[in-house]
Amino acid sequence: MAGQPRTGRRQQRRDVHIVLGLVLLSLITINLPVQSQRAIGNALRESVLRPFIEVQLLVVRTRARARDYHTIRAQLDSALTFVASGTTLAEENRQLRGILALSERSPSRLLAASVIRSGTSGSSSVFQLNAGSAEGIEPFDAVVTELGLLGQVQEVGQVSSMGYDWSHPDFRVSAMTTDGQAHGLVEAERGEFREQDRLVLRGTAYLSNLQRGSEILTSGRGGAYPRGIRIGWVGEVAETSAGWDISYYIVPAVYPGTATYAAVHIGMPEDTLPMPLDTAAGLNVPGGSR
Amino acid sequence: MSVREATVVAGLVVTHLLLRIGFGLQDAAPDLMVLALLLASRFLSPGGGALLGFGLGLVEDAFSMLSFGASVFALTLVGTTGAQVRVLFVGRSLLFQSTYFFLGKSIRDLLAWLVSNPGSRDAFVDYVLIESPLAALYVVAAGVTVRHLFLKDPVRK
Repeated sequence: MAGQPRTGRRQQRRDVHIVLGLVLLSLITINLPVQSQRAIGNALRESVLRPFIEVQLLVVRTRARARDYHTIRAQLDSALTFVASGTTLAEENRQLRGILALSERSPSRLLAASVIRSGTSGSSSVFQLNAGSAEGIEPFDAVVTELGLLGQVQEVGQVSSMGYDWSHPDFRVSAMTTDGQAHGLVEAERGEFREQDRLVLRGTAYLSNLQRGSEILTSGRGGAYPRGIRIGWVGEVAETSAGWDISYYIVPAVYPGTATYAAVHIGMPEDTLPMPLDTAAGLNVPGGSR
Repeated sequence: MSVREATVVAGLVVTHLLLRIGFGLQDAAPDLMVLALLLASRFLSPGGGALLGFGLGLVEDAFSMLSFGASVFALTLVGTTGAQVRVLFVGRSLLFQSTYFFLGKSIRDLLAWLVSNPGSRDAFVDYVLIESPLAALYVVAAGVTVRHLFLKDPVRK
C-alpha cells in the first residue's frame, strides 16, 4: 500500500465503529421530526453562524445606504402622493361602513426586518429575518415587500425567524383578481432550473377569461395571508382542464433574490376568513382574527 | 495534521461561510466546505474524517428547511472516503489532486441529492449531470490553487 502506514487493528476497529455510528446518526438526523431539526438549525444559527449573519446584515445595510438619493426621493414622493389621495378614501370608507353597519376593520401591523439569505446547500427558497417573537412575529405571518408578497414565516426564534418565499414547493396562497370576480389558488411550479421557477394560478373558472396583465391579490381565504396583498400579474395560460377550470402563469410581483428588506404582517385583519373546520361548509364561516 | 494544515482547513471553512452567508454569494463562490473536508480527511483517520464531515454537515444544514440532514449524511461519507483514499494513493500529482477534488464534490452532491426530499430537489439530469460537474470543476480550481499557495506539499506536474 502506498501513502501513510497502516494503523493498528484496534484503531481500525474503533474507526469502523465511529464511522458506522456517525452514518447511522446522520440517517437519524434526516428522519428527525421537523421540530427537532428546526431546533438544531436554530441553535447553530444563533451560535456558530451568528457572526456570519451579522456580516450579511452589515453588508445589506451598507448597500442600502449606498442607494441613489434620487431613487429614494422618488419613492418618498410616490408614497406621499399615495397617502394624500388615501385620506379622502379613508373617510369615504368609514362613512360607507357606517351606512352598512360594518364593524371597524382591525388592520394588521407591519414590522420591518432585514432578509438574510444563506448560500449554503439546501437553503434555496429559505430566508431568515432579523426579528422574532420578541417583536411579535408568529409562525405563518405573511412577509411582504413594497412590491408585494414575498413569502411566509415558518419558525420563530426569540430574535430571528425563518421563512420561505413563494418558490418553495409548499407555498400556497388563495388569490383573486382586483375586482374579486375570479378566485383561485396560487402555487409555485418548479422550472428545469431554479431561475425558471414560476407561479401558477390554479382553479379559476373555465369562463373567467382573465386578461393578460390583470393584477392578482391575496383573497384572505383560509386565514394564512391577509387580504389584498399583491401577488403578481396574469401571464399566459398554463393549462386547461376539460372545460372545468383554467390555470394561468403569474408574473410575480416580487423576485425573491432581490429582496433585502421586508415587512411582516403581524396580526390578521378581521376581514380574513379562517380555514373552515368543516370544508363542506364552504365559505359560510364567520370571520375572526387569529 | 500539522498546525499549518489545520489553519488552512479552518480558514477554508470560515471563508466558505463568509462568502456564502456573510456576502450572500451563494453558488458564485466555490464549495470551500467540501474542499476543506477533502484536504483535512487526507490527514485524518476514517473516524476523524467522518466526525469532521458530520460537524461541517450540521453547519451546512443549519439553513436547510427542505432537506435537513442531507449534507450531514453526504459529508460524513465523503470524510470517511477521503481518509481511506490516502491509504491507497500517495496523491501528490496534479492529476490525482484534480480528480480527487472533482470526485469528492461530485459524490457529495450525488449523496445529498439521493437523500434529499424528493418533492424539493432538482431533476437528476439537471443537478447531478450539469450543475454538479460545473461546481466540481470550480472546486478543483480552488483546491489546486489552495494547495499550491498554502500547503507545503507542492503539486507535481
